Amino acid sequence: MEFLAFLPNLFALDVLGAVFVGVLIGILVGAVPGLNGAVGISLLLPLTFALPPEVGLLLLGGIYMGCMYGGSITAILINVPGDVVAAPAAMEGFPLTQQGRSKEALYYSIFSSMIGGVVGIMVLILFTPPLARFALQFGPAEMFFVAMSGLIIVGALSGSLWKAAFAVAFGLWLSTIGLDQISGADRFTFGERDLRSGISVVPVVLGLFCIAEMIGNIGKRASDLVQYTDQQITRREVLGEMTRHKTLLAKGSLIGTFIGLLPGVGTTLAVFMSYAEARRTSKNPEKFENGSVEGIMGAESANNATVGSSLVPLLALGVPGSPTTAIIAGALVVHGIILGPSLFVNRPDVAFVFLYGMLLTVVAMGLIGAFGIKYFAYILKIRMDFIIPTILVLALFGAYSLRNSLFDVMIAIGMGILGAIFKRVGVPPAPVVIGLVLGPMIETNLSRSIRISEARGMSLPEYMLSSSLGIGLLIGVLVLMGIVVQMRRRMAVVEEQVQASREGADR
Amino acid sequence: MKRIPSLVLSATFVSLMASTAMASDYPTQAITVIVPYGAGGGGDTVARIVSDKLSDELGVTINVVNRPGAGGEIGISEMAAADADGYTLGVFGYPDNFVIESTREVDFNSDEDLVFLAQFDNMPMGIFAKPNAAYTNLDELQAYASENPGALIIGESGALGLLSALALADNLDVTLTDVRYGGGGDLLNALLGEHIDLASTSSMSHDPIVDAGGAPIAFAASERMEMFSDVPTLRELGHDQVMEVGRVIVAPAGVPDEVLERLTDALDAISTDEEMIATFANASLPYAYLGHEAVNEKIEASNAAFGAVIEAHADKF
Repeated sequence: MEFLAFLPNLFALDVLGAVFVGVLIGILVGAVPGLNGAVGISLLLPLTFALPPEVGLLLLGGIYMGCMYGGSITAILINVPGDVVAAPAAMEGFPLTQQGRSKEALYYSIFSSMIGGVVGIMVLILFTPPLARFALQFGPAEMFFVAMSGLIIVGALSGSLWKAAFAVAFGLWLSTIGLDQISGADRFTFGERDLRSGISVVPVVLGLFCIAEMIGNIGKRASDLVQYTDQQITRREVLGEMTRHKTLLAKGSLIGTFIGLLPGVGTTLAVFMSYAEARRTSKNPEKFENGSVEGIMGAESANNATVGSSLVPLLALGVPGSPTTAIIAGALVVHGIILGPSLFVNRPDVAFVFLYGMLLTVVAMGLIGAFGIKYFAYILKIRMDFIIPTILVLALFGAYSLRNSLFDVMIAIGMGILGAIFKRVGVPPAPVVIGLVLGPMIETNLSRSIRISEARGMSLPEYMLSSSLGIGLLIGVLVLMGIVVQMRRRMAVVEEQVQASREGADR
Repeated sequence: MKRIPSLVLSATFVSLMASTAMASDYPTQAITVIVPYGAGGGGDTVARIVSDKLSDELGVTINVVNRPGAGGEIGISEMAAADADGYTLGVFGYPDNFVIESTREVDFNSDEDLVFLAQFDNMPMGIFAKPNAAYTNLDELQAYASENPGALIIGESGALGLLSALALADNLDVTLTDVRYGGGGDLLNALLGEHIDLASTSSMSHDPIVDAGGAPIAFAASERMEMFSDVPTLRELGHDQVMEVGRVIVAPAGVPDEVLERLTDALDAISTDEEMIATFANASLPYAYLGHEAVNEKIEASNAAFGAVIEAHADKF
């Protein structure tokens, strides 16, 4: 084994230190609303220029890994997801906190994150070349189908289908604001310079989730918000329960790994897909959105699995698959490291230490997460009148820091007010974000497909189904639609039963 | 109405108080360098490398602030509107400013609002063929494209990518179908997956494309690049097409002469720093320093060349 030669480098003190510090920063950055991996990494990027390449890279890799988990902590404890990927954790984890089961939710979250993280990195280590080739097969037509499947997932969330459809449509519309990527035309900008750069996802998430939640908390008494008597639960009990959900965790990790390969939207899509899958196969679907540990397992295993797989195209081809990996690529380039197949030939010292070091980031995340839980729970002891201003300030700071833009702060505030209204009338916020993320992907890939089909002298359907992958994905989209329809029927039945039993109890 | 972010605002506020001090003492406090792109890209990297050295030379802290959005428009507008006291500078890739102001209604005018202090690197655009293409040099490409008008799909990202693709089709007298991509990464993915036939992107993509079996057709450079000396320029192949991104450092117009002199002297002084030049080389950035006068001459000439291509394809913008 070639990597054995580099094993001593891996356990060098500075490497281990970088891993630990990176993960710790990542968890903190992830937990703070609005600061995500991309922000954390770009803040520390200049620092890495002074470090040896493998140390600097692992510092960044540690942040990436840590922040995927960190967002779940505040999501579970105070219903404030630090990032889009933590939204399902908030949907399932916060109800558990309200039931006095916050420790349990946090344990499920950290252990599922570890499993997903390890699977993603192992896949990165073992299968990078074939997976990179597989990822390349996704052309405009294939990406279009993938994005459509993401829209269908919205149907799997509970509540009114019309309200969810409205939320998605609103998100899709938001995504059209700004310079049209394809034609370069201004849309809905009213000549405003700031609107030309479009509405970015982070301030919308901060507004709809964090600020709206805080607005909702204003005026509530502390006792309405959280139960201080948190039930005790041991790590062993949680792990024991998790062994009964091996398939769920495996599916979550694999969904995260495969969808995470796709550039741009991989992570968000993977998390929601895995969450919907957990819900579909659950024996207790009525618990969803009311505190389901299965939902946490599905979403959390998927989001950390995307860390490894989104690095696959970067390392194998030099193609960054997410904003975070794009910044990591920038760091590599500054160190004079050329990405692509030659990386393992030219700089095996860096490549192997980085790859195996990423496994250590999972270990560090597990240690910090599992032993930090008793300290995280102190957040619940803080009085709400302190939490509200703190979160609001952090959310506005986060919105600003993304592009150093006051305009983004305005967006976050506007979305916060809108989110509070949405909450009142029962419009779910998650589909807005899904629409906003998928909108450009659907639009640009459809219009690219149209242009390419014309150049190739084919009709659009002919071009879109010219590869077997395209046909397979179309079938996948149709099957998914069928499943969602079935799920909604089942959900309706469950709701009726719940209703009936409630009425029975009342009598 | 102009919204000025608070960071710049506070910087200007502090600098207002300081401007009572003599301009000849410049600089007495931290300088802000605005980068109109996100962290981690080529433009950002150049800004950080240069700021690091310039900070040592001037003896003050230099803060790099990323202000991405609308292809650089947001950040460049802010540079143009900043106080001309030398405490707000900007680094961006020329000709982004020129393409933006020639194709949209914007709040800045480079000629009137910006002073170009120096250029640091010069990165040509290139034309690359997908892996397994039936054409691997310009002659074969031209022959293939003439026989199959409109059938070849050229992907591009960024304003200069599009300009270069359009100019190539004009120069070869062929019809290509151009398809736009949001970023260099997406474009690379499409080319290496053979979803498109050609890519118009910067020379920085050379290694990943060649490693994956693609072929560099030519660079739109004024002369052959040292790093890739086997790739011909379009000029030597008989087409006068030069499309280069030059990372420049600018100040808002109207900076006092003493400040301008101090800055250009400092930039000239660091321009020969071997450590800095090595950092550029490590990052695959083709170092090509031009001082205050030289950069202004170059920009005047280049503006004319880019202007002609933009005018000929007004419908594409």
